Amino acid sequence: MTIAEGAKFVAAAYAIILAVLVIYYFMSARRVNTLKRDVELLEQEVQRRQPAAGESGD
Amino acid sequence: MKKLVSAPVLFAAAGVLLVTGLLLAFLYSPIDASTMGYSQKIFYYHAPIAETALLAFGISFVAAILYLRSQNDKWDRLGVVSIRLGLLFSILVMATGMIWGKAAWGTWWDWEPRLTTFLLVCFLYTAYFVLRSVVEEEQRRATFAAVFAIIAFIDVPITFFATRFLPAGMHPTVITASGTGMPGSMFFPFFISMIGMTLLLVALIRRDLVVEELRDRVADLKHSIGG
Repeated sequence: MTIAEGAKFVAAAYAIILAVLVIYYFMSARRVNTLKRDVELLEQEVQRRQPAAGESGD
Repeated sequence: MKKLVSAPVLFAAAGVLLVTGLLLAFLYSPIDASTMGYSQKIFYYHAPIAETALLAFGISFVAAILYLRSQNDKWDRLGVVSIRLGLLFSILVMATGMIWGKAAWGTWWDWEPRLTTFLLVCFLYTAYFVLRSVVEEEQRRATFAAVFAIIAFIDVPITFFATRFLPAGMHPTVITASGTGMPGSMFFPFFISMIGMTLLLVALIRRDLVVEELRDRVADLKHSIGG
């Protein structure tokens, strides 16, 4: 096998590795940001409901 | 607990080492003189990814034992995360291995010991997630998953030692008890990539643990507001 022929296989292998790892890296970073925002919103909702629950008990 | 090294530093260190390993593999290491020729360059990431996948399954094995001893959810989370990443790395190993096999041996697949046992590893750890998806109650799910992770791990050392004990296959054994079986100019880039890939695994495990913790927190908050 010539270098040119082998290079196609090598390029394909490294392209797959880099693509998968880079995509996973950004996907997990995005998941963290989305979940952090969800937690923030839900905590605000919990705080908003707590005084209301206290008032209804009076 | 404060982390000794921050996540961005770990990712950066992994990135620098992986790029350095890659550059050395192409610019410093010689082209393999055997029948593999230029396709041997795939080895510099293929082998570190394979070792890292097995390391991830090793972590899941330890996490499973620790969960069964303590029933602490953090070990269940570590198990899930390390198996997910182990599976991701295993898929990369299979994909790059098939490409390398086609280039070096002229075939995409061969039912030889290393490839077959590695494929079995992939199936076993895929089944781990199937198992988790069918058990609803959290503690039962974590317990069953931990037991399954321990059983599934039996195939990991078999895969690792397959080429050593069953040398009939095409897959070469690079690192043995007697040495690396390759010159320093090839081993050095491999070693750099190996450290880089291990650091990447650690960084991804840490980030995915944060994801799992946040997911649990979201579920708790939704439960507390009746959502």
